[in-house]
Amino acid sequence: MKIHKKILTHYLSCTSPVDKEGYLFKKKERNATYQRRWFVLKANLLFYQERPADRHLLGVIVLEGCAVRRSESEGQFAFSLVFEGFKTYRLAAVDHQTKESWVKSLLSASHCYLSLLVRDLGRQYEEAKQNQGSGESSSSAHMNSDLFFPSTAAVREGRSFSAGTVLQTPSFHTKAMARKSPKLWHRRNAHVTPLNGPAPLYGEWPLVDLDPLEDFRKLHDYYGQEVKRVREEWMRSRQEEEEEDSDQDLIYLG
Amino acid sequence: MRFNEKELVSLSRQPSEMAAELGMRGPKKGDVLKKRLVKLVVNFLFYFRTDEEEPIGALLLEQCRVEKEDSQTFSIVFLDEAERKYLFECDSEEQCGEWIDSIIKASYEFMRKNLIFYRTEIHRLTGKDPLEQYGISDETRFQVSNGLQLMPRDTSSL
Repeated sequence: MKIHKKILTHYLSCTSPVDKEGYLFKKKERNATYQRRWFVLKANLLFYQERPADRHLLGVIVLEGCAVRRSESEGQFAFSLVFEGFKTYRLAAVDHQTKESWVKSLLSASHCYLSLLVRDLGRQYEEAKQNQGSGESSSSAHMNSDLFFPSTAAVREGRSFSAGTVLQTPSFHTKAMARKSPKLWHRRNAHVTPLNGPAPLYGEWPLVDLDPLEDFRKLHDYYGQEVKRVREEWMRSRQEEEEEDSDQDLIYLG
Repeated sequence: MRFNEKELVSLSRQPSEMAAELGMRGPKKGDVLKKRLVKLVVNFLFYFRTDEEEPIGALLLEQCRVEKEDSQTFSIVFLDEAERKYLFECDSEEQCGEWIDSIIKASYEFMRKNLIFYRTEIHRLTGKDPLEQYGISDETRFQVSNGLQLMPRDTSSL
């Protein structure tokens, strides 16, 4: 299979951020000796060459479907990339800190991992926006049920995740953002969401099916419209108030 | 240049939502349109001869530009070189749009940007860094692009 080397080397040398780089020892498969190589981690790709300035790229390891394991049996600062059913790359650092740093970076390097993380954060973001809008604490239990994300314990254990692996999400609760006075809030809620009722099920909120990655502008426009509408209602109701006897209003919003 | 070929071939055989027979034409002058099974897995675009198990090749979908060429055709340009333009012919405009969308979203860099956006926004809205609970707040790859670390904000006044 052809891997289009130039595309890879171009990506390596372009301005997108390098996630980690440094010297590591790589064990040769044939004669079990370690050779020092300069490694560059970018996205889900681990490149290696002899020296930092070298133009000649020795190789690349695509980090999908591999487990990152500490292998003390091989050496004090040794660790490996294990492709189950395939090859194991044996690497070693010069000290404990370097090893730990690399292990941690490699654990969060896969595309699958990032994909799950982005999805999870996307939902947290939507939830945070809803909460900001509603001013109530969300009943977020049902919102998390669909998504699974590696817990920190599992991350420590050292597996990178294929799309098929499923793990428990740590539950996420947002605190109520009590930004508005209760009196004003009361009024707004009557127009917008059921008062004292449960928040509509996650599936019934508008934009739930909108993939947030699709168009941020749409998402922002939508919320912008909501804000605009609420503001208009507030202005209208304020006007009505001023015309009526306003003894009962505890808060003057002038 | 060496690479973990067997592992990559195995990756190419994983199920994918975006896998279809498309007309594909390479960037060189002599290249003609050929029917290929094109498959998107993570940030790689694999292409197979129909009914073959091993892909002919793998294109890394980073630092590339995806564009609509006409109603049913899209192109991918690599290395910012117009000479490295691959053309893909779809069966419908809808399919073409789906592919363009999927390829853009499959890029690691695209996903990273989204992550940083969500991280920043969630922090702004809740005062919390959402990556803390996963123990990855200080990972270089997730840092806000201007290099500033997200600091926890005192929300007691809210």
